[in-house]
Amino acid sequence: MAAVRVAAWRRSGLCAAGLRAFWSGRRCPQSTGCRKEEREVEADRAVPEKEERSEPSLICPPPCSRSYLPPEDLQSRLESHVREVFGPSLPEDWQQTPLQENRLKHRLLARLAAELGHAVPNSQLHRMRRAGDVLGFYSTPVKDGTKIDELTAAELPPNLKIIWQQ
Amino acid sequence: RYVRQLQRLQLLFSPTAADARGARQFVEEAAQDFARQHPDVVLYVSPHSGPGPAPVLRAEYLNGTVREELIASKTSEEIVQLATKMANQSGLDIIRIRKPFHTDNPSVQGQWHPLTNKPSILTVQGPRLQPQ
Repeated sequence: MAAVRVAAWRRSGLCAAGLRAFWSGRRCPQSTGCRKEEREVEADRAVPEKEERSEPSLICPPPCSRSYLPPEDLQSRLESHVREVFGPSLPEDWQQTPLQENRLKHRLLARLAAELGHAVPNSQLHRMRRAGDVLGFYSTPVKDGTKIDELTAAELPPNLKIIWQQ
Repeated sequence: RYVRQLQRLQLLFSPTAADARGARQFVEEAAQDFARQHPDVVLYVSPHSGPGPAPVLRAEYLNGTVREELIASKTSEEIVQLATKMANQSGLDIIRIRKPFHTDNPSVQGQWHPLTNKPSILTVQGPRLQPQ
């Protein structure tokens, strides 16, 4: 019973070597996966390889970009969502609404994440105590590339050359 | 007219190594200011991915000397100071200069220093006087 579960877990590509291959930037864990998988995955590998030749995007989609730009009508959108979720129990300044109740907080954050495409990470949840904090979080833009990519794109003085080998 | 003897500075470091953190901060913050202050020096920044040699600042001078300085585990300010120091140097080797002459009495009337033959008020310090 445990062996079947372990075999299924390994086959799903989530064992340590498979994760390492994923995070090192390669699109799909290729045949240099962990040796224990070889016996079980041999049969499966024939099928994924055929799929890869026709449509490479079937197996592993490219990682989604984390960039986020706050929209211009952010305040009005946020206010409308807060009024929807909290209903009548709102203090005068809607930014001071406490998010104490977990259900309402989850509802509000889930709606905002679905609409704006940018979710509050788990580590920041404890900081979202009032609607004003949520507004502050959603008004900070998030950039995707590394600093060196930004530098290469920005305007440099003529005697500074950045040679970026990837 | 002053001609700077430093031709180019090459900053070789790894974008992921821990000891190259100062080099990365230098590139992000201070490299542009340094390049603007020293327009006659070319600054090449080459990050090479993967585990590699230690981060190094290589200076090439007009007389062909190439001097490499390790910048592993150095802060951004220290790298700025090091780069300015190398920019103000000439490419001559930094060794002990030996001359083929020696004398036991190098000076008869006293060795000249920049304050000889200048009015003594320049160095006097008293309760009401400050050196000018």
